[in-house]
Amino acid sequence: MHHHNQATPSPSGSTGTLALVGHPNVGKSVLFHRLTGAYVNVSNYPGTTVEVARAGARFDRSSSLLDTPGVLALPARSDDERATIRALLNENLKLIIQVGDAKNLRRTLNLTALLAELGVPLVMALNMADEAKARGVTVDTDALSKALGMPVVATVATGGEGISALSANLGHTCPPAPMLRYDTESEEAIASIAAMLTEHAPHPRLSARGLAILLLGRDGEVENWLTAQPHGNEILAHVAKLAPIGARDSLPARLARERGRAAEALAHTVTKQAATGGQSLSLRIGQIAVHPIWGWPLLLLVLLGVYFFVGDFGAGTLVGLLEEDFFGEILNPAVTDFVRAYVGPEWLADMLVGDYGLWTMGMTYALALILPIVTTFFLVFGVLEDSGYFTRLSVVSNRAFAAIGLNGRAVLPMVLGLGCVTMATLTTRILHTPRERLIAIFLLALAIPCSAQLGVVFGMLSGFSFQAAAIWSVCIVLILLVTGWIAGRLVKGQRVPLVTELPPMRLPILSNVLKKTSGRLKWYLLEVIPLFLLGTFIMFVLDRMGALPWIIEAGKPLVTGWLGLPPEASAAFVMGFLRRDFGATGLFAIGSQLDMIQTVVGMVTITLFVPCIASVMIIVKERGMRTATLMLAIIMPTAFFVGGLLNHFLRLFPHIFS
Amino acid sequence: MTASTERIRLTGTPIGHNVHLAELGEEIDPLQREQLHAYGLSAQQTITVLQQRPMTVVMCDHMELALEHAVAQHIWVEGK
Repeated sequence: MHHHNQATPSPSGSTGTLALVGHPNVGKSVLFHRLTGAYVNVSNYPGTTVEVARAGARFDRSSSLLDTPGVLALPARSDDERATIRALLNENLKLIIQVGDAKNLRRTLNLTALLAELGVPLVMALNMADEAKARGVTVDTDALSKALGMPVVATVATGGEGISALSANLGHTCPPAPMLRYDTESEEAIASIAAMLTEHAPHPRLSARGLAILLLGRDGEVENWLTAQPHGNEILAHVAKLAPIGARDSLPARLARERGRAAEALAHTVTKQAATGGQSLSLRIGQIAVHPIWGWPLLLLVLLGVYFFVGDFGAGTLVGLLEEDFFGEILNPAVTDFVRAYVGPEWLADMLVGDYGLWTMGMTYALALILPIVTTFFLVFGVLEDSGYFTRLSVVSNRAFAAIGLNGRAVLPMVLGLGCVTMATLTTRILHTPRERLIAIFLLALAIPCSAQLGVVFGMLSGFSFQAAAIWSVCIVLILLVTGWIAGRLVKGQRVPLVTELPPMRLPILSNVLKKTSGRLKWYLLEVIPLFLLGTFIMFVLDRMGALPWIIEAGKPLVTGWLGLPPEASAAFVMGFLRRDFGATGLFAIGSQLDMIQTVVGMVTITLFVPCIASVMIIVKERGMRTATLMLAIIMPTAFFVGGLLNHFLRLFPHIFS
Repeated sequence: MTASTERIRLTGTPIGHNVHLAELGEEIDPLQREQLHAYGLSAQQTITVLQQRPMTVVMCDHMELALEHAVAQHIWVEGK
């Protein structure tokens, strides 16, 4: 998913950048796709563009288009807002395209009031005109355009409406006039800072007045930029004196309030609200989804749907067809015969199609076992994401997350973690504080099994009984709650109460869901296949060198003594270092030797065991080497401790679990 | 609904009522207060209470907003 979202270098020969800027969930990414043909992860969940995406513009190949993360407001406070300000500060901007919400013009104009001060040509795409119409809202775009002194185009990005009119206006070169004049005292402060900036630290593109307003609003990114300029600290000291942070009637608060008033006044003059015939179906479904009583049956229905599609159809039917019927009966015997017949040295043939063969183990695991499961998971995840259900789920689950020091916003990374923990670790950026991100990343690394692993776990446990699967599930949920509870108390900082917009429930567009699924699958396979092949190769080498028996022997006290597993299970934990699902599959291979307690203990331990290499690398990238090492130092002993404890506990009741 | 100018907490507002926002209490974290302003919750703004459990959900300018009680209880509103 996120390779689409990484900031990429400007295409060579680009003469300038056009930046899409706007609130979360107003359709920037869909518009980006319409204007560039490039695909960005688009979804009906605020905060899905985690970093800035860039592509060549369709209408002007010499320019590049940036899709910035949604901003709730500027000056920047959240990571997404900081990323947007960074883009505005550092890009060779020739135009800002503000993407607004036609049904909520007041909020849109609140942001316009700031963007219009930056001294960069501005065009407004007033998007979701269809949703506004459905709610009886009409905006006089001509009057708005005249009032703002910039082109305003009504668009429906999902349906492609207004895109050509918007494209025709993208050559606009005139910066708009400021939308408001602040009160005298504020204007004096702005003028004094702007004068200092003009004299000592002029920005090559952005106006001194715009930067002064951001600075007086205490924008951290502009402050960072200024620190690197000559006399920057001097100007910052002056700003700090004029605009102390946090005071109730301080300058930052007053500036924001005045922008709000100006936006309200203008919105009022150009918007008409007609009476509508009661609540729309979308609104009603949305309300049921967060209803204190009806929300739960709906959640159960959604979970059942996910289970039948991913667990039953994906992990059962599709895996059966692919792994057993196609790979097991047809493809692998044919490949094995071919390799044995034509590939010379025996060791090479073994490396390809032996017990630890690159094809018979690595590729078969990746393509026959994992691919069907993750494909069905990503499909259903995409549908839920685009429908707007996940934000409702964050409301329903908020109380549970409060118990582990998080808020309901964490539901998206946690659910995505059930698909791919690595991807989910990146998505923790949507959480607002470093504290929340740290807790969520830790819990993902410890106790959230990815879909590939879930498939293997349930495949093995269902071979015994419902009881086995229930014990595994209870253990994992308990560990999640207990460690989350402890982490919530140990990690410094306050829990942030949830305040979230609930975007309208929408019928997902199939093509968007398919595009998103294929993007995620591509990302997943590029990550998983090399690791599976590397893992298989390491296993092959260890086996050929005779090291596996040594590892098995060395691991005996822990694996056999404490966990009560057969000695061969050590090999599975070696495999688990590469990927947890790979490790689980290793246990799957010796499944016939395991009784029910051993299977449950093995599955719980491997679920909690180290996250895959890719996840670890992402944790290092996001949180640094020190935190990643600390997390691993906690996770590995915890996995073995819990596994052993469970082993000894379950063996107290041999008549129940034998 | 009877017209009233008494200030009550948003959490105490019956479902379905339209109210004016009077004030965001000092107890709300300054950053979260800014966030609420950015969502359009500013003085005199009309909001409709849609739900109170598990969280307070209000409609503000065609936008549904869910607020945890820890925040909503410090938002003061007046009858319309």
